[in-house]
Amino acid sequence: MKFRSALLAVGALALTVGLSGCYESSDVTRFEPGEYKGADDPLLAKLEDPEFRAELDSRFDGQRDR
Amino acid sequence: MARMKFLCDADRCIECNGCVTACKNANDVPWGVNRRRVITLNDGLPGEKSISVACMHCTDAPCAAVCPTDCFYTTTDGIVLHDKDLCIGCGYCFYACPFGAPQFPTTQAFGVRGKMDKCTFCAGGPDEPGSASEYQKYGANRIADGKLPACAEMCATKALLAGDGDLVADIYRNRMMSRDGRPQTWGWAKAYGAGA
Repeated sequence: MKFRSALLAVGALALTVGLSGCYESSDVTRFEPGEYKGADDPLLAKLEDPEFRAELDSRFDGQRDR
Repeated sequence: MARMKFLCDADRCIECNGCVTACKNANDVPWGVNRRRVITLNDGLPGEKSISVACMHCTDAPCAAVCPTDCFYTTTDGIVLHDKDLCIGCGYCFYACPFGAPQFPTTQAFGVRGKMDKCTFCAGGPDEPGSASEYQKYGANRIADGKLPACAEMCATKALLAGDGDLVADIYRNRMMSRDGRPQTWGWAKAYGAGA
């Protein structure tokens, strides 16, 4: 009887330890497909600067035929 | 907001490959990779035309649509860029691109493609503009310095135009006014839509 209850206790312990390995965190990071996942490009902020834009536009305008 | 586009005026291109050389020089492009190339149609025949081709920075970029790691992003100016830290070199973008723009260095063993490399409109990548890591991965960031892409800036005949689509179209329209024939905005309909 004593042996049987000890066996049951060991079995329950093994089951608990075994099942804990199957635990899966539900706190997952979900990404929308087609959504850029990399680092932010600092150039994007620079392109918003009107002064920089004007400089860039004048450079582009230099492609006109003389 | 500007919408950056490339336009190659086929009537002006003299196939000098200056754009290819300028690109390779400015961006330190490795051997085996050509971000830009000059294609000649009807080579050697009367009326042959040459076109300088690179990434056209499409409005609805097919490369970005098929990328399994979503490493592509588009700037507010419409420049299509990618993050090499995310690229796994699967090559899907190469199959999707109608211009053959994505390139892969083939210097590794067992046919490993390596990270994809393509024209960045000389706008670098997501690293700090002008940093050593950006230059090593993506090449020069001339846009951040207020300059044109090296290929367009170096074009001796001004056949290759780069910049805001409205400005590029205006320059080309003025040229067409003094020419016979129909405008040939090669690749524009495919890259920017039928109405472009």
